[in-house]
Amino acid sequence: MPTSNISKALLLMIALVSIAVVSWELYLRKSSVTIAYDDGPPFWSYKRALVYQPKEKATVFTGTSRMSYDLDIETWKKITGGEPIQLAIVATSPLTVLDNLAADKNFKGNLIIDAMEEGLFFGDGNIPQQYINFYNGVTPAQKASFQINHLAESAFVFLDKDNFSLSAELSKLQIPSRQGVWTPPVFPMEFTRANFDRQHFMTSKFAADTGLQNKVRTIWNIHHNFFRDILRIDDHTSDSIMHFIKTAVGKIRARGGEVLFVKLPSSGAYLIGETRDFPREKYWNRLLEITGCPGIHFMDYPAINHFNCPEWSHLSQPDAVVFTKEFIRILHEEKKWSFPELPVN
Amino acid sequence: MVFNSYTFIVFFIIILILHNLPFSWKVKKINLLLASYIFYAAWNPPFILLLWLSTVVDFFVGRALYTQQNVYKKRLLLVISLIGNLGMLCFFKYGSFLLENFTLLLNAIGVHFHPAKPDIILPAGISFYTFTTLCYTIDMYHKKSKSVKNMLDFSLFVTFFPHLVAGPIVRPLQLVPQFETEHSATGKQMLDGLLLLSLGLFMKVVLADSMLAAPANAMFGISEVDAPFLAALDAWTGVLAFCGQIFFDFAGYSTCAIGVALCLGFVLPQNFNYPYASIGFSDFWRRWHITLSAWLRDYLYIPLGGNRNGKIKTYINIMLTMLIGGLWHGANWTFVVWGGLHGFYLWVEKFVDDKTGKISALTSSSKKTITGFSYALFTFFLVNITWVFFRAGSFVKASEILKSMFGLHKTVYPIFTSIDIIKVVTIIMVMLTVHWIMRNKSVLEVAYKISWWRLGTLWAIMLLLLIWSQESSSGFIYFQF
Repeated sequence: MPTSNISKALLLMIALVSIAVVSWELYLRKSSVTIAYDDGPPFWSYKRALVYQPKEKATVFTGTSRMSYDLDIETWKKITGGEPIQLAIVATSPLTVLDNLAADKNFKGNLIIDAMEEGLFFGDGNIPQQYINFYNGVTPAQKASFQINHLAESAFVFLDKDNFSLSAELSKLQIPSRQGVWTPPVFPMEFTRANFDRQHFMTSKFAADTGLQNKVRTIWNIHHNFFRDILRIDDHTSDSIMHFIKTAVGKIRARGGEVLFVKLPSSGAYLIGETRDFPREKYWNRLLEITGCPGIHFMDYPAINHFNCPEWSHLSQPDAVVFTKEFIRILHEEKKWSFPELPVN
Repeated sequence: MVFNSYTFIVFFIIILILHNLPFSWKVKKINLLLASYIFYAAWNPPFILLLWLSTVVDFFVGRALYTQQNVYKKRLLLVISLIGNLGMLCFFKYGSFLLENFTLLLNAIGVHFHPAKPDIILPAGISFYTFTTLCYTIDMYHKKSKSVKNMLDFSLFVTFFPHLVAGPIVRPLQLVPQFETEHSATGKQMLDGLLLLSLGLFMKVVLADSMLAAPANAMFGISEVDAPFLAALDAWTGVLAFCGQIFFDFAGYSTCAIGVALCLGFVLPQNFNYPYASIGFSDFWRRWHITLSAWLRDYLYIPLGGNRNGKIKTYINIMLTMLIGGLWHGANWTFVVWGGLHGFYLWVEKFVDDKTGKISALTSSSKKTITGFSYALFTFFLVNITWVFFRAGSFVKASEILKSMFGLHKTVYPIFTSIDIIKVVTIIMVMLTVHWIMRNKSVLEVAYKISWWRLGTLWAIMLLLLIWSQESSSGFIYFQF
């Protein structure tokens, strides 16, 4: 084939790729899909690098998915005038991130930890460690790629790795698996969107569609049945975890930082299960007692104990706004935390 | 910087523009050199000092070696180069390994020695550029080619970004002459280069990262405690996933490197030639990481005596070369065993071939036969056994995985979902078929034979899958070697 034919092949390739990509993008936009960001190690690493601001200006949050759904970043920014840095990682333990911040002598800020027992006492520490390893070894090229990727993700809806990548589409096939193999759940896309503040949110469609909500509730049920036997620890193990937390918290406080635990809202069967499996006196009360840290438990405050989580475990976006406002008020008025835009206590 | 990153796309566009502007050849070469330093520094800027040190020392030592008449002084200069290059490699790559083994040895003889574990970071591509500079000084010692006249050309030879961090390992005669006269890509080279770059990225991003990395990592990431409970199907799925992953990762990188260089008007040597269609192990090493095999042959096996000193010595030289080749891949005894297994296969093959001559006949024949195909499948099977040692990280895990592969564990638990198994088996079957069909052909040769609309459609499918996979910036496996 002469070179001119390769040129024709190149032009055909460009035309086919352009048509396919544009059609796909237009189709997704027409289906009301919005921009979302890949919440992987580069994104987390980008936020992790921001924790060194003075504690009056920035607050760091860590935990599991509840923290990233329930805290409305825009509301926090608007009311406090400070910078919220979301380091929570979905479906993991916050202990690894806590340990990393405690070991970092340059971190002297305020830290709020999601005390969901499933994450704190049973959560996976491997994924956060991978994120931390990425942060520790991030290269200038990776930082630049993240910025370029951010521009691309901000422009194209189809660039949504969790929902539209080849692997994600293959997972959606839901081919029956072999007996005894744990298959990762496939959440409806409407349940997990992430913005550039690392805030996760469910779409308004999800908040209104009980069919979609039931899909996630079923996933929680399957998850709990599968891991039922694992979600048990003896007092000695829970005490050793709490003493580990105490040591880490002590390091941050010794440098002038402040640490606070928050138990975020749940409802329905999830709340029943949590109340049954993680008795307050054994977990929450003891956590505050051993670590000596202040805490905010949603059940203790009428303003935040009434939420109805659409799939039992996370707040809808409008509720996250209400929750965040009240949370800030409690932090400011009761816990005496100071913020740039709020009057000094 | 890695080829499969957004940063590289921007970087490459800038380089292409600069390289095609009406600058003098010297300015273009300076541009390429600076770009290569930026490419390297984008990993870890301080390590660029090592690259400079290696370049400067070997440029002057190489020149002195070429002009020096005194045999003793020549030898001294060669020793300086060997110590400089291999010393650096030993420190960064094998420092911890050597200390660990030295400690084990002392403890074994009753001396209690417990040094702190050194925290040494491996500079990207050190094994590759060390071999590149070493072959230059050795060539100068043997006067195989003329010394490079100026530092700019030599620096570019060592540092030229397409081959810098993971090869192909280039020889002075393959690249230096291309820097002596002005080079820019012809229209054909540019199109060929873009096609190869697309193919390389498709292999790396879609097949290695998006499809095969997860199952390979899941199986080999299993703990030593859980390894005895692996089912045969899962063990084979993991091993086949790794066999595909390492090929697509490394051959993908090499294809990208060749494509990128071609877009700039430079030709790099071929590094892979459908290795999983190899008929026997001699054939495998002529098709897998070709530039490393050739390097080891020319700068280790032949200097050791090659096949010139009788059969026993030949067998010893083969084994030594493969053991050192294994160690080159990583500072762990499992890599040595991997090399040793390949050495053993080569021994057996040589023994059989010396007696019957059948294997050489099969390999050299361009005709595809059932016997050749069967032997290729047998070779592929044995290569997979070696990959277990290459990837397992410890002998305990490797032995448990091997037991699982042969169904020797009684109580087993499945780990892979149906879709994982379907994915891996489909890709490996297609890979083997393509390797067999393409055994005696080249991609560009086939690309020029098929109709333009077929090529354009295939090219579009590759790029669409590349975009669809949404994987970016993951490192290449061979960077760690």
